[in-house]
Amino acid sequence: MMLQSIMTQFLSGFSVVAILVIAAIGLAIVFGVAGVINMAHGEFIMVGAYTAAVVGKLGGNTFLAMPVAFVVVGLLGLVIERGIVQWIYDRPLETLLATWGVGIILQTVMKLIFGPELYYAGAPKILNGGFHLIGRLPFPYYRLFLIIVAVLMLGLVFFVIFKTDFGLKVRAVRRNRAISGCLGIDTARVDMMIFVFGSGLAGVAGAVLAPIKSVSTTMGFPYAVDSFMVLVLGGVGNLWGVLAGGAVIGEAETVLSFIFNNVIGQLLVFLFIVIIIRIVPRGIFGYYERR
Amino acid sequence: MTTLLEVTGLTTKVSGFTILNGLDLSVEEQELRVLLGPNGAGKTTLIAMITGQFKPFSGTIRFAGQDITGWAPDAIFQTGISRKFQVPNMYETLSVFDNVMVSLRGRRRVFATLFQVLRAAERDRIWDILEFVGLADKANDPADTLSHGERQWLELGMLIASDPKLLLLDEPTTGMTESDKHRTAELIHEIAKSHTVLLVEHDMHIVRQIGKRVTVLHQGQRLAEGPLAEVMSNELVRQVYLGKGKFQ
Amino acid sequence: MVRDKAGKPAGKRRRSIRRAPLFPFWAVIGGAALVASIGAYPYYSTNIYVLTLVGKFLCYAIFALSIDLIWGFTGILSLGQAVYFGLGAYMVALSLKLNYALTHPTRFGNKIPDFMEWNSLTQVPGFMTPLYSTPVAIAAALVVPTLFALLFGAITFKRHIYGVYCAVITLAESLILQNFIIEYQAYTGGFNGITDYSNYVGPSFLWFILAVTVFFVIVARVLTHSRVGTVLKSIRDNDLRAEFMGYNVANYRIFVFCVSAFMAAAAGGMYAAWVGIISFLNVGPIFSIEGVIWTAVGGRGTLIGPVIGAFLVKGAEAFLSDRLADWWQIIVGALFILVVLVMRDGIVGTAMEWVQRRRRGSYRQILADADRAAHDLQMDWRTEGAPRSGEEVR
Repeated sequence: MMLQSIMTQFLSGFSVVAILVIAAIGLAIVFGVAGVINMAHGEFIMVGAYTAAVVGKLGGNTFLAMPVAFVVVGLLGLVIERGIVQWIYDRPLETLLATWGVGIILQTVMKLIFGPELYYAGAPKILNGGFHLIGRLPFPYYRLFLIIVAVLMLGLVFFVIFKTDFGLKVRAVRRNRAISGCLGIDTARVDMMIFVFGSGLAGVAGAVLAPIKSVSTTMGFPYAVDSFMVLVLGGVGNLWGVLAGGAVIGEAETVLSFIFNNVIGQLLVFLFIVIIIRIVPRGIFGYYERR
Repeated sequence: MTTLLEVTGLTTKVSGFTILNGLDLSVEEQELRVLLGPNGAGKTTLIAMITGQFKPFSGTIRFAGQDITGWAPDAIFQTGISRKFQVPNMYETLSVFDNVMVSLRGRRRVFATLFQVLRAAERDRIWDILEFVGLADKANDPADTLSHGERQWLELGMLIASDPKLLLLDEPTTGMTESDKHRTAELIHEIAKSHTVLLVEHDMHIVRQIGKRVTVLHQGQRLAEGPLAEVMSNELVRQVYLGKGKFQ
Repeated sequence: MVRDKAGKPAGKRRRSIRRAPLFPFWAVIGGAALVASIGAYPYYSTNIYVLTLVGKFLCYAIFALSIDLIWGFTGILSLGQAVYFGLGAYMVALSLKLNYALTHPTRFGNKIPDFMEWNSLTQVPGFMTPLYSTPVAIAAALVVPTLFALLFGAITFKRHIYGVYCAVITLAESLILQNFIIEYQAYTGGFNGITDYSNYVGPSFLWFILAVTVFFVIVARVLTHSRVGTVLKSIRDNDLRAEFMGYNVANYRIFVFCVSAFMAAAAGGMYAAWVGIISFLNVGPIFSIEGVIWTAVGGRGTLIGPVIGAFLVKGAEAFLSDRLADWWQIIVGALFILVVLVMRDGIVGTAMEWVQRRRRGSYRQILADADRAAHDLQMDWRTEGAPRSGEEVR
């Protein structure tokens, strides 16, 4: 009986995996290419969620909100990259601090604009309701939608990185920045575009994750921390890393939270991650690190 | 002459590539051995392995009779091996003097350094080394204000301070002007009088200036070894350097 | 710290290096004046509010100092330093609360802390009973966080996990401890924290905190001025070179991390005793990152900088945040960005840079030195058309 419950948790955990992948993928490509961690990533997601709420108020739905949020947060990322991040690519630790400051400012500005109340971005009506998985487990359609979105986002990034000219430049810069520069690739432009792309993906994440809980100015931070852990565990520089990290963390957290409680689940997952990176310091699929 | 360093059957794989392939090499005491080979032959990897940066896939490394295969870099340092990196590696914000001071052979453990005071004899030694490499004027300057050639010399000075039995020098003249290179060669020649040196070099002028015995690496194996003139007239070596030859 | 000798004629080599003395004259005088003015505060003012702030700020200063040790001198950015501060604080607060409950029983007559009763505990859990004893509580507040740090260091530093990865892991660590404390409210007071216990506001405790602060500043100075300090700086600058020069980099990192945790724990313990309220906020990432910003604003790697930074930022907050409300947060955010982009050495760092430049002489003097050195080498370093010394130089 317990085993069956765990099995059902495992299956419902797929949607948690999807959420993690959706949240982390924007961060992953920026960190993988430019080596910087955007501590305002959570706030980018938050802005995307608010965008979805506004779109909803104006009569649109989640499907519309996704590209709108992509553009809005992408532009936001452009401003921040040009204004702040472009000067500090060589100092990754300090980028942490500067983007944390950006995050604080974003949170406060959003609070000034929208006020401290909670907003609600509803899911599109077509996705309401659900079906039953394995007997008694209710599986909302929206969770299925999330899984599809996660797959689509991975597919989109895969397409961009591996099937476009831009992606070729990105891969070259990732492999060997100096030589790419010598070969005529504008590495600064690549960094900028990848930051904008990653920001846009964060915006989409926000739009898609908004209906799950309520939208508030502080909703972003937990997603950011989760994304960091996905990257640390899964490794950067490799799309499989995002999937692997998300899968392991998502499933582990779901199952362990079911057996114990949320906080113990988090702790156990954290310990698990620490143990794993002792063995593979750069993550499961991280670049082979020569030490 | 006893064998100081003995490498047997050393094999390393990185990301599926076999960089060192059953390499055998031995260096006698007090020798100045030059390590030659085209790019990718495995020269830097060999030095990395000897100093413990990676563990080999198979093979052994023996130093002064001890098996040091797989040891950690700081432990290998204690046995008397010091390494100079291809790119000058030093402590940028510390002064030239402090760079050398911190490299002196001596206590390394945390609690031993807690109340360590610089003794007069050590201080003199540091000044002697700085004068030897020509940086005594800049003793107080932070290391990041030095020119490229001076940085190479500083690192050389740091190595001398560490009082090693074996010095592994990885292309110590890269990026130097001609006169600086000449000067460096003289320094190395002087150092080799009282230390064992394994020198990786590309610049044949330098090799001709100070090299006696030469080992040529190719594709992770030893291609040829012997006095310089003999090796350079080796047909196989010529082919490899000119790109026409494939090892076996 | 090694100072440059200005205007030394080339060719005459004197074998001496000038090092800054362990306790420079200006620092001793300035420090004594500062300590005296803070210590005398209870005598020339009766403003309890400011008195409380001063005590708090001293604790924050030690906290920032602990961050400077690991970040400014060793290059480890920890976004979870509050874990050690908070653990020390909770130990002390629990002890005080337990003892308070003995003399102030709850409505139902139980001599246990109120939050325990709200969570249906009827007696103090066994593992907490040692905290009744004050010496044990103080020892626990200092030792437990340090052991925690030792464990953390052994796990991460021994595997060369540093830089961004370390920062992210410490962030997660801090967040998880915060969530733990909120969740297990029966033992920790949860969301409300631990409140309503007798705390020690008063001149004598202020002097105690002041004494401890001075003690830690001196210890930190001795440590960073010694050979260990030089090794830590070399690890910060180039840990690869240090490792291949025979230093066990992991052990040094663990050492300084433990010392820093000890300091943070002491600060936390004193804070709990002084302020009378602690909660999960003192444990989480927000507080940890606040400490980093005080250090950055004051000037990392300077020891006195973080102390000043803590006072400045928190002082500004105390007086401005009421009036500015949300805009204060925007200022804080901008401060982060500013300190990274523009004022990278912080206030004290920039000031020291300025003083050093004054000592080296003006721009004209630097040109004259360069000319002299070049003349000895029979070289001309200038490009054509560049101004010669003696001419108008900006």
